Amino acid sequence: MNLKSLVKRNYNKQPEIDFPDYKSSIFRAPKNKKISIPSNLEIFGPIFNKKIIGKLDNDLTLNFSKNKMSPLGHKIIVHGTVSDQFSNPIKGALIEIWQANAAGKYLHQDDKNPAPIDPNFSGCGRSLTSSDGSYEFLTIQPGPYPYPNRGIEWRPMHIHFSIFGESFGQRLITQMYFEGDPLINLCPMVNSITDKKAKKSLVGKLDTSRSSIQNILAYKFDIVLRGVKQTYFENRQEGL
Amino acid sequence: MKNSKNILDETPFQTAGPFLHIGCMPNKIKINNLYKNDLGEVPFKIKNDIEMITVEGSVFDGNSIPLDDVMLETWQCDENGQFFEDNGFARFIPDKLTKKFKLFTVKPGQVENLDGKNQSPHICLSISSRGLNMTLNTRIYFEGDDLINDPILSMIKNNKGNIDSLVAKKIKKNFYVFDVFLQGDKETVFFDI
Repeated sequence: MNLKSLVKRNYNKQPEIDFPDYKSSIFRAPKNKKISIPSNLEIFGPIFNKKIIGKLDNDLTLNFSKNKMSPLGHKIIVHGTVSDQFSNPIKGALIEIWQANAAGKYLHQDDKNPAPIDPNFSGCGRSLTSSDGSYEFLTIQPGPYPYPNRGIEWRPMHIHFSIFGESFGQRLITQMYFEGDPLINLCPMVNSITDKKAKKSLVGKLDTSRSSIQNILAYKFDIVLRGVKQTYFENRQEGL
Repeated sequence: MKNSKNILDETPFQTAGPFLHIGCMPNKIKINNLYKNDLGEVPFKIKNDIEMITVEGSVFDGNSIPLDDVMLETWQCDENGQFFEDNGFARFIPDKLTKKFKLFTVKPGQVENLDGKNQSPHICLSISSRGLNMTLNTRIYFEGDDLINDPILSMIKNNKGNIDSLVAKKIKKNFYVFDVFLQGDKETVFFDI
């Protein structure tokens, strides 16, 4: 009979878990090898209703503004598609994003960076992909910021992405960087990925065709989740 | 079957970082005027006559310090072993003071495995945080259930994995404790799913 399963994850294209250059990983990264189990149950996953999504949830320039005041910084469009490894677009995928403001400050009590909070910017947004797998956010260019690691280091400009596809096993949490940022190659979190092509896939590309439309800089970031495949399973008779 | 040459690479993970609450549970950090509710606050709409359980625990780092900046997500079937698209998902963080998380949910039923055998009742658990370059996946099984015949636990046993790390201890009726150890002698078994 045919059953669904997920394409096995290729760990050569993923970050190292145990990567001491990123100091926080030293006492958190598990030391034992992961144990491989069949993914037939992780094929299922939560699907989110579009009723939960508010009109401004994907517009970070307006969803926290007071008295129609704009957040500081320059506006950007971040857009792209969510597909699986077989290039099938994933419709209804939930994308949640969070980011620092233009000054490199998060609206979070644990952010110790002495940069100003922007009262009109939360850095929080979400969206469901359309039937062609596409998504779009309107936001502000996040600033780079210093953080304690091996001494003080700087994070490149980035936006955090959390994505739910159709399966719990497709769950992905990652970050998008910005084309041309010289801090990308200095960042230990980025460099925990050794595969060059994989690393490059996290860099949003300046999309000039899109930018010209609204005089807003646009970046394109396409996301690939694990593929779902049919597997023939021979130890079981049809119809049982 | 499609040609494997045409298979795209999965987008790589990056750490969720210390500020994941902004995007995933803004109401928890008092960003209150954006979303009506944080996602996954309640895994199931409570029905009458259903056995509900509490699973409480902490996530410990390599220094045995219980963490309060980790996000946990669970995914499970209902009491009859059925999966639903709009039920069964929960998302939570440990309490800032007690460093303990608490999941109040339906006790999952058995589900059928590939080979027709049943998998013992369990909840899929994922953990994301600062210091974790990838989200970790594990499972919560329950003390008192049949854990001998579960095909996944048997695989783990064959790989010399620490099965005890996957079993929530029953403290009293419908109350379990499940601690996660990221490192050390008691390191929890994490899965490549």
